[in-house]
Amino acid sequence: MLRYILSRLQSLVLSLIVASIVIFATVEVVPGDPASFMLGMNAQADTIAALREQLGLDVPVWQRYLHWATGLLGGDFGTSYTYRTPISEMIAERLWISLPLAIYALTLSTLIAFPAGILAATRRGSATDVGVMGLTQLGVAIPNFWFAMLMVLVFAINLRWFSAGGFPGWDNPLLAIKALTLPAIALALPQASILARVMRSALLDTLSEDYVRTARAKGLTRRQTLWRHALRNALIPVLTIIGLQFSFLMAGAIIIENVFFLPGLGRLVFQAISQRDLIVVESVVMLLVFAVILVNFAVDIAYAIVDPRLRGTR
Amino acid sequence: MSLLSISNLNLSIGKKPILRNVSLSVAAGEIVGIIGESGSGKSMTAYCVTQLLPEGLTATGDIRFNGQDILATSEAGMCAIRGAEISMVFQEPMTALNPVHTIGQQVAETILIHEPQTSRSEALERARDALNRVELPANRFPLSRYPHEMSGGQRQRVVIAMAIALRPKLLIADEPTTALDVTTQAEILTLLTRLVREDGMGLMIITHDLAVVADMADHIHIMQKGQVVENGPADRLFQTMQHPYSKALLAASSHVPEREQPQGEAPLLEVRHVVRDYPLPRSALFTKPESFRAVDDVSFTIRKGESLGLVGESGCGKSTLTRAILGLEEIQDGEILLSGEPVFTGKKPNRAVRRKMQVVFQDPYGSFNPRHRVDRLITEPFHLLDSAPSDREDRIAEALRSVGLTPDDAFKYPHEFSGGQRQRIAIARALIIKPELIILDEAVSALDVSIRAQILDLLAELSESHGLTYLFISHDLSVVRSITDRVLVMQHGKIVEQGETQSVFDNPTDIYTQTLIAAAPRLPEDLRNF
Repeated sequence: MLRYILSRLQSLVLSLIVASIVIFATVEVVPGDPASFMLGMNAQADTIAALREQLGLDVPVWQRYLHWATGLLGGDFGTSYTYRTPISEMIAERLWISLPLAIYALTLSTLIAFPAGILAATRRGSATDVGVMGLTQLGVAIPNFWFAMLMVLVFAINLRWFSAGGFPGWDNPLLAIKALTLPAIALALPQASILARVMRSALLDTLSEDYVRTARAKGLTRRQTLWRHALRNALIPVLTIIGLQFSFLMAGAIIIENVFFLPGLGRLVFQAISQRDLIVVESVVMLLVFAVILVNFAVDIAYAIVDPRLRGTR
Repeated sequence: MSLLSISNLNLSIGKKPILRNVSLSVAAGEIVGIIGESGSGKSMTAYCVTQLLPEGLTATGDIRFNGQDILATSEAGMCAIRGAEISMVFQEPMTALNPVHTIGQQVAETILIHEPQTSRSEALERARDALNRVELPANRFPLSRYPHEMSGGQRQRVVIAMAIALRPKLLIADEPTTALDVTTQAEILTLLTRLVREDGMGLMIITHDLAVVADMADHIHIMQKGQVVENGPADRLFQTMQHPYSKALLAASSHVPEREQPQGEAPLLEVRHVVRDYPLPRSALFTKPESFRAVDDVSFTIRKGESLGLVGESGCGKSTLTRAILGLEEIQDGEILLSGEPVFTGKKPNRAVRRKMQVVFQDPYGSFNPRHRVDRLITEPFHLLDSAPSDREDRIAEALRSVGLTPDDAFKYPHEFSGGQRQRIAIARALIIKPELIILDEAVSALDVSIRAQILDLLAELSESHGLTYLFISHDLSVVRSITDRVLVMQHGKIVEQGETQSVFDNPTDIYTQTLIAAAPRLPEDLRNF
């Protein structure tokens, strides 16, 4: 098991190095000079040159990469071209919304998907199964921003249970969680639908396995067979989807953040791109890549916990 | 009074009858063999006894176990019986165990389910006893082992340990050794017999192979199309059997096709000092991968018109060798020549040589694309020719006719044929470009005995009419014995013995060959010429 974790860690570090090079290079080749953008259309050439020097844009590419990469290691993302503030502070502030929102949405999605998927699989072909599958079909089809607006209309404007948007900060955790509830539901709905469908089909696959028949022949009831033998084996594809969904929720919440006026990471990237704040874009993308790689690492470890065959031979 | 008595058992799926008036009984300490070909209803009979039928099916009739009416017992009542009073062992040891639980947990589970007051440690202790009884000693097979760390035969022992942990009165074994090698099969059968004798348990053993139960069962039932057509005590049944089906079954099991002795000494395939290494997965990212030698310095020759057998147990390198001969993979040392030309030149298979040989695999259904029609399937080898032949239709018709099908079959899809017919299509596909050598890789292993006999006859006929040479790869010694002139015995990647088939089988010199031949199940000697 330890060797498995070490080998996973090894590939984690390698992926990070490769990703940082690719991200840096991609942003480099994108047209648009931050210095001339910041100074506007009528800037003098020597002013632009001075600013480029000040921003550190005049040194060779590889030097800038090394500078940026070593900074990342120490948690220093550099300074935003536009706002002249340390990027790490900007990101930290946004992360305090995006990360809890992603975790909140994923928790909701899992809590909905597991029972729904299990119920549908165990009563295959019944009215319950048809109903659950119909609902998940709807959940996948409905655009989540439309559903978000609908919820704002019903719960914020008509019923006044929640505020329509904005974020009060974490001073009062209860209020903060309340403010994240509608966005989390909007994000969780399509994810839960997908996850429930994956859960159902994975469980149906494992329920037809030979070892399930063996368990029944041992005297286990249907229910015992499901909980003790089928479920854990069905978790592998489900874990894969959960991992993908978490990464998506971290980075992909931008539309929902806009609907609810949440100052999250998605909006930060959006603004930075439109202002050619390349170093912010690079940093946030790098952070997201890091999150994705970290989540994949966690999923790999979870696989090994679930399935002894992946732990390697002893 | 018998332990289990089944009388007038009927079962149907929709309007199609699966079981018709099946009656049989098993007494304590008795071994009852149920024999039949696929679809004869033998497994369904077992599922009726444990009430593990596919959902929606209900059997009618009477099943008494220890006086209890099984068909009237509730699901909860059946759960109490299954695993404690009646246990089952199935065909697929590789998949019958849950891959995510240790063997200790799985054996202990049987005990904990039925005796919930047992403590976990006590259950594990008793699981240890059960594993010892099936000859999986603690030093080599601790309770913490996972199924994937064990071989097929060892896993089947774990399944048996689970089944006998509570000393049930009746054990049902459904094709328990079909997926295993001959030596492992012999060991498992001996084990089952021993457990029956020790515990005085009744054993119902279901198999398609007459030879498996011939010298082990006390009583034999032969089933066909959902009916028991013949039954009697095992020691007399073979002499007294009356029903035409049982006679046909027996004849097919020991069928030897008529063949002419091959003429000529010209070598067709020459395999010289072939070595095939496989790289193993890297143990760490930057280490050099180690390799595994699957074929180790193998040399042999097949003469024109000859039929050569290659036998060995799973993992011995048979399939790797086949792939090398077909030129599908590069070999690391040695050479393979067909009519004097190498099969593999310059990093790719030699097309001119490849078109002189074809292969027929074990599972015809798996080797056909289900969305293609037969005409397209059997003309696949045309891609080995430089240009498509102009007489395509004629050649399709001829190939189908020569394997006993009709030219009209060209327009059907593979699912419209039975297993035996599909294997004929596979042979037609091999014949269509008129090869000189056909490699038959377990080509008849998945077939029922009566179909197998027909296919073996067909192969013998084709060998004469088309001047074919066969390399016949199989783990089934009786088949190899009946259709080959010479035989090679392979173990751990090496040829350990080769010679005339008859003399190798009668006087094996190598210890491994001796073990292999001794382990092969055999019908009583006086029936060989039935």
